[in-house]
Amino acid sequence: MYIYDDFDHTIAKQRVAEFRDQVNRRIKGELTEEQFRPLRLMNGLYLQLHAYMLRIAVPYGTLSAAQMRKLAHIARVYDRGYGHFTTRQNIQYNWIKLEQVPDLMAELATVQLHGNQTSGNCVRNVTADHFSGVIDGEIEDPRIVSEAIRQWSTFHPEFSWLPRKFKIAVTGAEKDRAAVQWHDIGLHIVRDDAGEVGYAVYVGGGMGRIPVLATKVRGFLPKRELLSYLEAILRVYNRYGRRDNIHKARIKILVRDLGPEEFIRQVEEEWEASRHSGVNLPPEEEIRIARYFEPPAYEKIAVPVAAFEDAKKANRAFAQWISTNVHPHKTPGYAIVTISLKPIGGIPGDASAEQMEAVASLAERFSLAEIRVSHIQNLVLPHVRQADLFAVWQELGKIGFANANAGLVTDIIACPGLDYCSLANARSIPVAQRISERFADLDRQHKIGALQIKISGCINACGHHHAGHIGILGVDKAGQEFYQLTLGGAGDETASTGQLIGPGFSSDGIVDAVEKVIDAYLDLRQPNETFISAYRRVGPAPFKEKLYGVSR
Amino acid sequence: MASPVNQVGSNRVLDRNGPITDGWERLADDETVKPGAAVLVSFQRLKNEHNALFAEAAAVGVEVGGDVNLDELEPFLPRLGLIVVRFAFMRDGRPFSVGRLLRERFHYTRDLRAVGDFIPDQILFLLRCGFNSFEAGPDFSVDALKHGVAAYTVWYQRGVERNVTIAERRLGKENLGQESA
Repeated sequence: MYIYDDFDHTIAKQRVAEFRDQVNRRIKGELTEEQFRPLRLMNGLYLQLHAYMLRIAVPYGTLSAAQMRKLAHIARVYDRGYGHFTTRQNIQYNWIKLEQVPDLMAELATVQLHGNQTSGNCVRNVTADHFSGVIDGEIEDPRIVSEAIRQWSTFHPEFSWLPRKFKIAVTGAEKDRAAVQWHDIGLHIVRDDAGEVGYAVYVGGGMGRIPVLATKVRGFLPKRELLSYLEAILRVYNRYGRRDNIHKARIKILVRDLGPEEFIRQVEEEWEASRHSGVNLPPEEEIRIARYFEPPAYEKIAVPVAAFEDAKKANRAFAQWISTNVHPHKTPGYAIVTISLKPIGGIPGDASAEQMEAVASLAERFSLAEIRVSHIQNLVLPHVRQADLFAVWQELGKIGFANANAGLVTDIIACPGLDYCSLANARSIPVAQRISERFADLDRQHKIGALQIKISGCINACGHHHAGHIGILGVDKAGQEFYQLTLGGAGDETASTGQLIGPGFSSDGIVDAVEKVIDAYLDLRQPNETFISAYRRVGPAPFKEKLYGVSR
Repeated sequence: MASPVNQVGSNRVLDRNGPITDGWERLADDETVKPGAAVLVSFQRLKNEHNALFAEAAAVGVEVGGDVNLDELEPFLPRLGLIVVRFAFMRDGRPFSVGRLLRERFHYTRDLRAVGDFIPDQILFLLRCGFNSFEAGPDFSVDALKHGVAAYTVWYQRGVERNVTIAERRLGKENLGQESA
């Protein structure tokens, strides 16, 4: 894991002092709410329906056990005893008092955490594959460049007042677990024909009311030149992105309006003029950062591990959990554990202070004190010995986190929705809870197989419904909560936008509708065919028929 | 009537340390130039009347917006004593890019000023993008300005002021950035 040096600590402390001063000036009336608003947003502080909400960055989804303990402490002391892990690998607290935020921030800074740029029209917390560094077949650990991007984008003098928010994601393996094509900039680490490491660069992806998959602007960008290329993209966007209409201000609209070819021409022209201006990271600095992400000292373990294999045979529930929540680790004898924060009937992504502390303890005992946050709103223990998996599973069971549903129908992404959010049109959480309860039977879930349901409570799409195999969008229809259903979206390397299947459903009807879609899939699937594969093979017609009857 | 910039609408001009006196007069497009005056004009007027302006005035400055076409401005740069970039609204981020480009790509070296609804908390970023003076309303807090300018002592990025970046300091190259102002 990256560890702050004196410079990083200085920046963190100065940020806390600056925000303390800004809060004081707001309370004294020296700053108007209009002036204060962008400042607090760039510190992650939102004013929601009932209280302030604070979003804390988990840079590229990596947390230490000590940081997790601090997050638990924050939940207990400053909030109501729980926090909510988000689709951007962050954590949110929903019941925050403005005057306490500076002290809270100061506490966070002691463990190298912050709320910097988790909101506002700036470069947001960079996200990365939650299996970074531990998955086989990775060209390079994407957290190295993510940390470089974190530093470069922190309080950038030129790009802190962009037309709109700006999200960057990085993935380092062939399989894309970071949804890079859905980001303003997506970086896919690749090798060119000569074996050099660089990036395929995607620009202009985004969800919201106009879902757009990113345009590949470069098949290969040499690694050393990344930051100057990012600056060229951001400069074109900062100068020419629309500022007159919040709904047309994302870079995806600029790419669309200029046309991809003209956009690329402008970026390349800007880059040619500025690529040698000293923006790129010195090679020594890249080496310094990379050192923090070198693999830990794993034990040499002979495989198969007999105790683990025996436990799987002896305990069906354990074997079921292994089949969904445990991924192969690149090191023999180790495993990657997904801790599902999706208990049946629970709130997706929520964790209590006690649960966070228990996860921190498990990480210390079994995962080299490291934890990841995934954009699917789950946690990950990245370095677990196979021999310890049974103990980890049992311990997780004690805190309600042994749900064997990672990647299954009840592993639902949902935004906070109308229960918390001032932008929402409809509630998301209760819909997620009712779907989860409907499919509570674990054998049935495993029979259905890999399936991603994603729920957003408004068109802003924080629940990523466009990228859901089954997407649900809450809308307000004459004062009633109503839900539209989309099918066929995906966020991985085969990214696609879900298509609206037909008229929407009432709050009561949406769960039945989801069940009908799944029943239709079970009827038509071929052996070993996942939902998304089946949908891509047969198209929407059979699902429409099941939902709305035969069209005449 | 032409009026000193630092009195227009009770605005005043500041640098990073606080208010400064300033001899520039902002001219409406139909106001005549007082011979020997330092005049600030619109870009349109500069384009239309540059010969007369440069002949009559002691110094000429221009006010542009964040959407300025810098290639159009470039021919005038060697003779301009002041460029004012207007924030259309507080969150207008374009002036930051305009400042950096004027300094780094077009090598403009004289007075570069921001005007508009920016707040003291943005000044440090403006300084790092090459601005050196600021025209602000009467409510603009000088205390907050001084506080904001001193808020950070180190940064990850190289600004126009050629600050040494953190990466350079880590390499022990503290003097790297300071030679070329």
